[in-house]
Amino acid sequence: MLTIKNLHANIGDNKILQGLDLTLEAGKVHVIMGPNGAGKSTLSKAIVGHYDVEVTEGSIDYKGKDIVKLPAEERALEGIFMSFQNPTEIPGVNNAYFLRTALNAKLKHEGKEELNAAEFLRVMREKLSSLEMKTDMLSRSLNEGFSGGEKKRNEILQMLILKPDVIILDEIDSGLDIDALKAVAEGINSMQDGKRTFLVITHYRRLLDYLTPDYIHVLKNGKILKTAGVELVDKLEEEGYDWIKAE
Amino acid sequence: MMKLTDLQNKLQNEFQIAESKSELVEKFLDLGLPNKKSEAYRYANMDKLFDQEFETLEYNAKELAYSDKILIVNGEVISMPKGIRVYYANTDEQNINLEHYDPLYFLGHLLSKKSIIIEIDGDSEVDILHRITKASTLIHYRIVIKTQVNKHASIYEHFEFDNAHESLLLYGYDVDVQKDSTLTFVKNQHSDEDAPTIIASHDIKVEKQASLTLQSFDFGNAPALQLFNIVLEEHAHVDMGQLLYLWGNVKRGTISKIIHRGESSHSVQEAKNILEGSARGIFDAIIKVEHSAKYTKTQQNSKTILLGEATYMVAKPQLEIYIDELEASHGSTIGQLDIEQLFYLRSRGITEVEARKLLIVAFANKLIGTIRDKRQEELINQNFEKAFYAQNQKTNLL
Repeated sequence: MLTIKNLHANIGDNKILQGLDLTLEAGKVHVIMGPNGAGKSTLSKAIVGHYDVEVTEGSIDYKGKDIVKLPAEERALEGIFMSFQNPTEIPGVNNAYFLRTALNAKLKHEGKEELNAAEFLRVMREKLSSLEMKTDMLSRSLNEGFSGGEKKRNEILQMLILKPDVIILDEIDSGLDIDALKAVAEGINSMQDGKRTFLVITHYRRLLDYLTPDYIHVLKNGKILKTAGVELVDKLEEEGYDWIKAE
Repeated sequence: MMKLTDLQNKLQNEFQIAESKSELVEKFLDLGLPNKKSEAYRYANMDKLFDQEFETLEYNAKELAYSDKILIVNGEVISMPKGIRVYYANTDEQNINLEHYDPLYFLGHLLSKKSIIIEIDGDSEVDILHRITKASTLIHYRIVIKTQVNKHASIYEHFEFDNAHESLLLYGYDVDVQKDSTLTFVKNQHSDEDAPTIIASHDIKVEKQASLTLQSFDFGNAPALQLFNIVLEEHAHVDMGQLLYLWGNVKRGTISKIIHRGESSHSVQEAKNILEGSARGIFDAIIKVEHSAKYTKTQQNSKTILLGEATYMVAKPQLEIYIDELEASHGSTIGQLDIEQLFYLRSRGITEVEARKLLIVAFANKLIGTIRDKRQEELINQNFEKAFYAQNQKTNLL
């Protein structure tokens, strides 16, 4: 589905990713764990084309082409979605208008008919209910004044309506209480169809208790140093990352 | 043909030998045509305009037809709606505000021997359409708005330009917002290559317990200035909102003076400026609180987004205060679009152009969203779209 080869990436003068290789398989849940500053968020930003990240070497192959030079919106339209760790607040941009603009951009890209306001609201009501979100979230400005939980649910709401192929969840569990975590996890699980790929970045196993990860990758010093099954999580929780060296 | 510098010289010569001196002429000559040293026009250098040769027009009052709006074509009133009285009357020097700071306010009165009088009876809404269709021509007129005590009136001002380049439109309103009444005035102006230079110089008095809402929406790449002199009496209120959206190589903006004269008067002035290309915006605004204006409340703010590397904003919110018993605040910010916000939108498949538009609309909507009349809001939104795509198509972002 998505293959990263020898990826080198900088943020400013800092060399963060230093020859990272990773293959994300279709229909699988990949989890990235690693110490602070290892490059987990930089990896997700590099995949979605964040302006902070400069890719200096390597490739990200997706749907048969290298997307390193593709603008962020084109990556999104091709089905790459990232749930932000700290979703930005945009005062004055109505949440419903934003969601409909994004959804219609995707539909247009797929050659499908765009939704009018009434059709859109019908779709939204169903999704809001599944995430236990109030409908007034739609009339508010995008993420403005949202609690941490509301922001994360709004990210999952976007994921549900945009139906991406590759879903990157950057610390989606941070700042969530148990109920919010469950609702978010249910939203994620409802998207699993055997074709979509998930890249879950997390520090803790509590989210993983609700998901069914296929691979655990340890990212350290700008590279994937170890890949194993879900059993690796217990060892990491007990022993930390110090023991992991380049394989 | 007429050159304004020649007119000034002629008035000077006539004034020196005149037996009875006109205060209006004296005031104009005292201030003189604006130049770089003129206080009011210090950021809006217009010297070349006054050395330009203009065609002039003869104004003849005609019988007015009825239509859904007041239509003024090249300075002549053509039609009016039923229920509104519109007529010409000789300019009465006693009704001219000799304390006005703008020389072109006085020049406008000197040139316009008769003013267009608009009498609004009762609670009414009126559309005024200014249509300019002459090139290289000096078009001037003054409009007096008369409202009634304890009534509410709304005026919606629109503009149409056809082949009016190299012309100068010098006009303005003299308004007395009557005691206990409210007046809402919304200007919607889109002026581009076909438009004249526009200088609109207004004089407004807000009487006791009256309220004025003044909203201007300026879009375009043609030069224009709007100048306000507003006096607030006891318990009077003014709420001014100004949206300026410029592109191209243009200099345009607002010069204003709000004078708190009566006790417990209240003013709010909020300017939002969006500049693209190499546009230069002006917000040069003074709020003066006189000794007599105890318990005044005043807020003044200017916010600007610079979207082009060669753009420039002169934002000068100023307070001139002579008392201690008041609440006053003012401020100014100048910035660019938030790159993180822009990226967030793009990461959801929204093109850069549309993402920019969403953010600019969000900025502008704080003013556009306050228009009570939905039809006017729609018209202003149309001008906003026209302004946005005029610039963004040129820069090949689509």
